[in-house]
Amino acid sequence: MITTTFRTDQEFFLDPQRCIGCHACEMACAECETNGHEPMIQVDYVDRFLSPQTSVQLCMHCEDPVCARVCPADAIMKDEFGIVHSANTARCIACSNCVQACPFGVPKKIEPLQLMMKCNMCYDRTSAGKKPMCATVCPSGALFYGTRVEMTTRRPNSTPVNQFRFGRQLVRTKVNIMMPKGATELVVDGEEASP
Amino acid sequence: MISTLNLRAAAVAALATFLLVAAILLGSRNLANFDPALVAYLFGCIFACFGVVYRYCVWLQRPPTWRYFARGWQLFFSRRMVVYGWELMKHFVGDLIGQQFIRNRGMTLGYGHRLMASGCFLAFAVTFPLVFGWIHFGLKPGGIDTYEIYTFGFKTGEFPLHTWIAEVIFNALNWSAMLVIAGVMLLMRRRLTHAGQIAIQTFEGDWLPLIVLLAISVTGLGITLDYKFMGGQAHQFMAITHAITVILFLIWLPFGKFYHIIQRPAQLGVAIYRKAGTEGPPAICPHTGEVFDFKMHIDDLKDVTAELGFDYTRNDGTSHLDLSPRGKRAALATAHLKAREQSGSFFG
Amino acid sequence: MATLPVSAEKLIASFGPSLNFPPQEGFPGRDEPDDVIKTHCCFCGMQCGIKLLVKNNRVVGFEPWEEFPFNEGRLCPKGVQRYLQNNHPDRLMEPLARVEGTGFRPIAWDTAFDQLTANIQRIQAQHGPDAFAMLSGVSLSNEKSYLVGKFARIALKTKNLDYNGRLCMVSAGAGNKKAFGLDRASNTYADLAHAEVVVICGSNVSETFPTLTHWIWQARDNGAKLIVVDPRLTPIARTADLHLPVRPGRDSALYGAILHQMIKHDWLDHEFIANHTSGFEEAKQAVADYDLEWAERITGIAKEKILLAAQWWGPAKTSFLLHARGIEHHSKGVENVLACINLVLASGRLGKPYCGYATITGQGNGQGGREHGHKCDQLPGNRDIENPEHRKYISEVWGIEEKDLPGKGLTAYEIIEAIDRGEIKGLLSICFNPLVSLPNNNLVRRALDKLEYYVCIDFFLNETARHADLVLPGSLQEEEEGTVTTAEGRVVRIRKAVNPPGNARSDTSILLEIARRLGAGKHFDFNSAEEIFNELRVASKGGTADYFGITYQKIEDHMGIFWPCPSEDHPGTPRLWEDRKFKTPDGRAHFHGVPYRDPAEITDPEYPVILTTGRVVSQYLSGTQTRRIGKLVNQYPEPLLEIHPGLAASLGIRQRELVRVVTRRGEAEFPAQIVETIREDTVFVPYHWPGRKSANQLTSGHLDPVSKIPEFKVCACRLVPTGKQAPAWEETKAYASP
Repeated sequence: MITTTFRTDQEFFLDPQRCIGCHACEMACAECETNGHEPMIQVDYVDRFLSPQTSVQLCMHCEDPVCARVCPADAIMKDEFGIVHSANTARCIACSNCVQACPFGVPKKIEPLQLMMKCNMCYDRTSAGKKPMCATVCPSGALFYGTRVEMTTRRPNSTPVNQFRFGRQLVRTKVNIMMPKGATELVVDGEEASP
Repeated sequence: MISTLNLRAAAVAALATFLLVAAILLGSRNLANFDPALVAYLFGCIFACFGVVYRYCVWLQRPPTWRYFARGWQLFFSRRMVVYGWELMKHFVGDLIGQQFIRNRGMTLGYGHRLMASGCFLAFAVTFPLVFGWIHFGLKPGGIDTYEIYTFGFKTGEFPLHTWIAEVIFNALNWSAMLVIAGVMLLMRRRLTHAGQIAIQTFEGDWLPLIVLLAISVTGLGITLDYKFMGGQAHQFMAITHAITVILFLIWLPFGKFYHIIQRPAQLGVAIYRKAGTEGPPAICPHTGEVFDFKMHIDDLKDVTAELGFDYTRNDGTSHLDLSPRGKRAALATAHLKAREQSGSFFG
Repeated sequence: MATLPVSAEKLIASFGPSLNFPPQEGFPGRDEPDDVIKTHCCFCGMQCGIKLLVKNNRVVGFEPWEEFPFNEGRLCPKGVQRYLQNNHPDRLMEPLARVEGTGFRPIAWDTAFDQLTANIQRIQAQHGPDAFAMLSGVSLSNEKSYLVGKFARIALKTKNLDYNGRLCMVSAGAGNKKAFGLDRASNTYADLAHAEVVVICGSNVSETFPTLTHWIWQARDNGAKLIVVDPRLTPIARTADLHLPVRPGRDSALYGAILHQMIKHDWLDHEFIANHTSGFEEAKQAVADYDLEWAERITGIAKEKILLAAQWWGPAKTSFLLHARGIEHHSKGVENVLACINLVLASGRLGKPYCGYATITGQGNGQGGREHGHKCDQLPGNRDIENPEHRKYISEVWGIEEKDLPGKGLTAYEIIEAIDRGEIKGLLSICFNPLVSLPNNNLVRRALDKLEYYVCIDFFLNETARHADLVLPGSLQEEEEGTVTTAEGRVVRIRKAVNPPGNARSDTSILLEIARRLGAGKHFDFNSAEEIFNELRVASKGGTADYFGITYQKIEDHMGIFWPCPSEDHPGTPRLWEDRKFKTPDGRAHFHGVPYRDPAEITDPEYPVILTTGRVVSQYLSGTQTRRIGKLVNQYPEPLLEIHPGLAASLGIRQRELVRVVTRRGEAEFPAQIVETIREDTVFVPYHWPGRKSANQLTSGHLDPVSKIPEFKVCACRLVPTGKQAPAWEETKAYASP
């Protein structure tokens, strides 16, 4: 039974440019029985022809999670710590609305299970005061879990940002992305930020 | 707004409840065939009916749910009804009856759920008609070894006593209790040993339903065991605890985990929606160049997200939702790379 | 024997490689383990700390070990999946004797030992003691490495003992010994943190040492400029401040040219050069003509980039230069290393905080293994087997007559050549899979045919072991106590987590029993790994790699001790050369003149393309372990030929078309992976696969004259498009021997 000792002073910091595409996070994530050995974090080449650059994406845990809002079955819940949980197994009807609506491309539909699964920031670990598995093993610091003070001490010339722009949509998240110093948001596509 | 939503749902629920009561009156020939001992159960059922229908209606009013609900029926009653009907049947048999997808989630879960669901449905099939007075049994006049079955007051069959058929029919609820107990045991064992389950389970969401089902089954079985082996000494206790647990189940049905029994058939709607979608044009990701879904789904999602107040439209009129999940992940990594490059430093 | 007892397909059906996946619901008992063992990963030289979860004598999972100072819990995919080598269906659990036509038959240990000793004695009686050779490997702990060295010399009485480190970093070792008189990374990686310039020469760090990436990124967070020299744009090179895509085999020209610029612009530490080094004039003379135009012509790197690298490196106040197999796997591997060391010495940035130099040792115990005696020319403590004083000391420790101690033997590849010439008749191998890892492996296969008797100790039936007369089931890393020495020179403890399953035995007990049966029992009276280590401490005492002051207790208390550590009250030496007392005879660091010369095989009209080989992140060495772990295989299931679109277009090669690569030694077909991230004159194939997918069918057996490292990193090839699209990898018998 869950006895929560979730550490609210700790945050997740993502930095895709530090990713070396090793897939350690995926494999470590898949070790967890909660997700049936399916990785909930995803590493892909952006375009291997041009570059070895990889994308690495875990759930950003939106403040207003569109996945939960588009779920026809009320299967996705956000808890008091801001963690957006994986689909309730009894409710999910595998429609994949969340899969296609998530601006970060995070939820996965596992066809044979007729179930959506997504990152819940290692709720089994974080609720027990531990760090998420992916951030613990990441060999390059693309994934970091710790306090904001720790992060700003380590990387004084970068700014953690938790605001993204997808077209006209502004999305705020629990998870931070490490941006150049002074940045306030990451414009993924569409309109440039208006100051 | 909220109150109007609730009002609409309440009206539908009231109507449904009214229809149920009418059906009970009609089916039991003005309660002539009604067993007064079951009156508590009856009120539980009527409450559950209102609750379930009310919640279903509230649920349907959510834009994504309504979209699927409407699309599902619209497709079902289209000219291709045969095709979709067949698809519906396939999924009904495969998903709801076969429950293969639950098996795929784990062997223990699959078997446990299978046993539990079979027990429950068998019990529903027996209990509801009995409680509503739609079915009753009687000794065939002029004999002592033949029983008659009456459905809605009409005789629909008879069977001889003291044969295996009689045993099977009279003990149907006992069989279902045993199925449920076996299933609950498997699932409880899983909840105690499976690390993944232990990590995320909650009492209310995961243990309470199992406990309720176990209590219903054990007390139900207890009634039989009591009069068979204890001469009915504990009948009062067994009957009351059984009634309490069953009524608890009925009252909780619209709110708790058991609501998924009502909700799950929506999967069939999704199945025909997808069937229709894959017959139409595909959605191709501009980043990967690959098919990642069907266009109807993406178009519907654009509408639904807009209804919900999300706007992923880009300057050129295209949408962020045109990208596949992988394409979206690549877009973010690319945008981040660009931001880093513009700043002149990847690190720091 | 070259001919297998039955077809490779049948052997694969019985012995794998089969893919091990964790069960969907996890190994039972993982959440309530009997024991949590703090130990280290069994793979590369980083030796990351990891905790293994043990239930019922099975390793059922892992937990990050966040307190271990080097990796603080960080792991690469191999580390995450390493526990799956345990509980593996392919695990050998009985001694196996070869049976023609049926494969292998389990036999009793006693029978196996009898057969083995009879054959050793027969061959040595007929052809002399050196006709029985031994090949070893540095995935073995320090204790086992030491034991193998002693076993081969005293029990087997052969001089022909060598190890797979010969394919790894021997040229770095030789270069370091020449320049510093000692072979170890000069600094720990902690000195990367505030280095102004970090130069990575020929190392695909992000794929081969992923956990080292953290330290490099940390340096960059603190403002370091990163220069990466590699013919490919690797993940570590992608965001580098400067990527120098060197033409394979031309490394020493680049470093010569940078030294030329340092001299020209007087970016030199004259005080350091004058007081603590020798040979500067010689080095200066050698690069006198290496101007930028010349360097651009030879290396294929734009001269502006070379100049920029020199401008950053030259005047920097702090710096760290790292190199690995990319410059070491060459017929002039030692020269490349010395050319790098020249840059470090000229800058004087050594033996000070954030002033570092290191070779990134590749194998798990590549560092410790090469110090303690299974190298053909070495004795424990990094002593020289031909130095009379060293011989005398070790003979005393071992309790033998100095004359009974064999001299210098042949190196790994030379042993195979000697087998091929019929000079060596018998072979005992442990922890080595030469059929995959040696170059020109068609020769290796032919040589195996000529062996009268071949016995292999391993935990899986590796590709070479398929040819054995006798296979003895040994132990995994987590089945014995011991120590290893990481790439930083930190001696750490390997813990026994489980017992060997079935009738498998620990490697140590197998070697001790063979020694006893060969009549050398009195020299091998060890009851524990710690006893072996304590003898190693004495044997290494006074040598350059001095472990005398290191004890198991001390290692455990400090989570590792850096050698040299000459006495028990000595804290160990994380950073070398702070005292400027180099271990060379004159006490100075040595510059060497490194005149440029071409690699052994250069392109010509018949073989117009450069072939270079390397690794991928999900596989380790010859893949004996990692090709058996499901998710690692799925990540990169078959070797791909990386080729530039320009070269591909000129040959009409399409994406994933099967391309036949032909060299003077063999040919192999690989699916083309067309990428802009490689030089246009070069193609790349990773080497972890055997049989028809083996890149080492193509590589050359040219050796470095000093270190005898083979030239894996450059040879000449011809590309022949087949016109066929490559089938899905599952359909190709990637593992079958031809």
